[in-house]
Amino acid sequence: MKQIEDNIRELNKLQNLQQRSHWMNRLHPLGKLLVCVIYIFVVASFDKYAFDKLLVMAVFPAFCFIVGDLSLKDGLYRMRLILPLVLFVGVFNPFFDRKVLFSVAVAGSQMAVTGGVISMLSLMLKGLFSVLSAYILIATTSIEEICYALRILHVPKIIVIVIMLIYRYFGLMGAEADRITTAYMLRAPKQKGIHYRAWGSLVGQWLLRSMDRASAVYESMTLRGFNGDFRVKRKNVSATDFLYPFIWIVLFILLRHFY
Amino acid sequence: MHTGAKGEILKIEDLHFSYEKGEEVLSGVNLTAHDGESIGIIGANGIGKSTLMKLLVGLKLDYQGVLEVAGHAVNKKNLSHIREHIGYVFQDSDSQLFLSTVEEDVAFGPQNYGLPPEEVERRVEEALLKVHMTDLRTRHNYNLSGGEKKLAAIATILSMEPDIIIMDEPSIALDPRNRRNLIKILNEINALKIVTSHDLDFIMDTCKRVVLLDEGRIIADGNADEILRDKELLEGHGLELPLSFSRR
Repeated sequence: MKQIEDNIRELNKLQNLQQRSHWMNRLHPLGKLLVCVIYIFVVASFDKYAFDKLLVMAVFPAFCFIVGDLSLKDGLYRMRLILPLVLFVGVFNPFFDRKVLFSVAVAGSQMAVTGGVISMLSLMLKGLFSVLSAYILIATTSIEEICYALRILHVPKIIVIVIMLIYRYFGLMGAEADRITTAYMLRAPKQKGIHYRAWGSLVGQWLLRSMDRASAVYESMTLRGFNGDFRVKRKNVSATDFLYPFIWIVLFILLRHFY
Repeated sequence: MHTGAKGEILKIEDLHFSYEKGEEVLSGVNLTAHDGESIGIIGANGIGKSTLMKLLVGLKLDYQGVLEVAGHAVNKKNLSHIREHIGYVFQDSDSQLFLSTVEEDVAFGPQNYGLPPEEVERRVEEALLKVHMTDLRTRHNYNLSGGEKKLAAIATILSMEPDIIIMDEPSIALDPRNRRNLIKILNEINALKIVTSHDLDFIMDTCKRVVLLDEGRIIADGNADEILRDKELLEGHGLELPLSFSRR
């Protein structure tokens, strides 16, 4: 179906983005991962009414999108499934927190702005910034590099492997689903979508075929010496690899405490 | 390289195998092979070619009989050692290429065997050179054509510098140009090659020795030219003369 095909194409585009030769892509993954995680922590730590201060934290995503040649439109589009969740997380705050913080003049009359509205906007902004920073990380770093950085941080091997294999098998299952649905649609041209009677066997086929493919991939890995740990090519560390996280982390702390 | 008592790199004696106590897929297979040989395993569908290949690389271990690779019995204890010597090219290249880029996939094997980065780099460079893919080194696997995927899959095995290379239906879904290219590349590889295929012309072009399997046993084992010209023998076991012979 078109939707599955589109999703696979999106995944491919994202992987192409990760393989660019841009200097941000070449940075050591550990630095990028640390910057992303610390940025999210710092953003989340702002007071719920500190909307104005929080705005300054836009400097990081703005820098990365502009300097990193990333498209904000594409980023928002790719994050479209998560964005509604993070944007609506504080949607009920205006009903509970009715304390008036200040008033603004709108068309000659005064409009009271409550703490609930500000905290809702803050939560939305925190969510948006966090999602954008995660997008910046995955758009400039491959899954293997992220896993490599996680292993440097001593994240348990089993967790890292599971993350990596889920990512790999996700694409594989998507490709199988695409094949099955395409074969179905080509023989049911007048039908819109898949008939409910076919769903059972189609999903069954999909799982069986995905399992076959997954076991073939696993066999291929074990035949090439895979013993449960991914050994990624070690990255050489340059001065920029130190400077990039250092400058950002210092800036985050300064913005958090002194602005 | 380790070999058996008579210098053989692969030794199979009275090999029996069946899936979950069902009918025997292989019943008494005997085969020995030496370094540098090129062997084509032929036979109709479902006669146990792929099973035999899986047994050789230790993907199935519950066999009976003698199965030795590079002087080591194929068993759980020796698996790691055996797999250092033997490379398996899957029929479906997508199953073989699971990392992001060609070079990452080609480096996967040597890295897993703990080789130093310089050695991994040398092997990746050399393997890609052998399959003429150095310019596609950083290409994403998703963006490769069918022929390129097959060559990249072969490079992932060549980088491990195996003594034995097993290929399951390597010519499937290749256009004539890629097929010709693959034949040329295979003929340049010095390791022991074992190729299973229904494409008998491909076997003719790449293998000097042919083994015909049927009903779980070896029916014929000998010179490729002699076996592949034997119409009666081939037709008696569900095969046909290679197209290049039948046209003459």
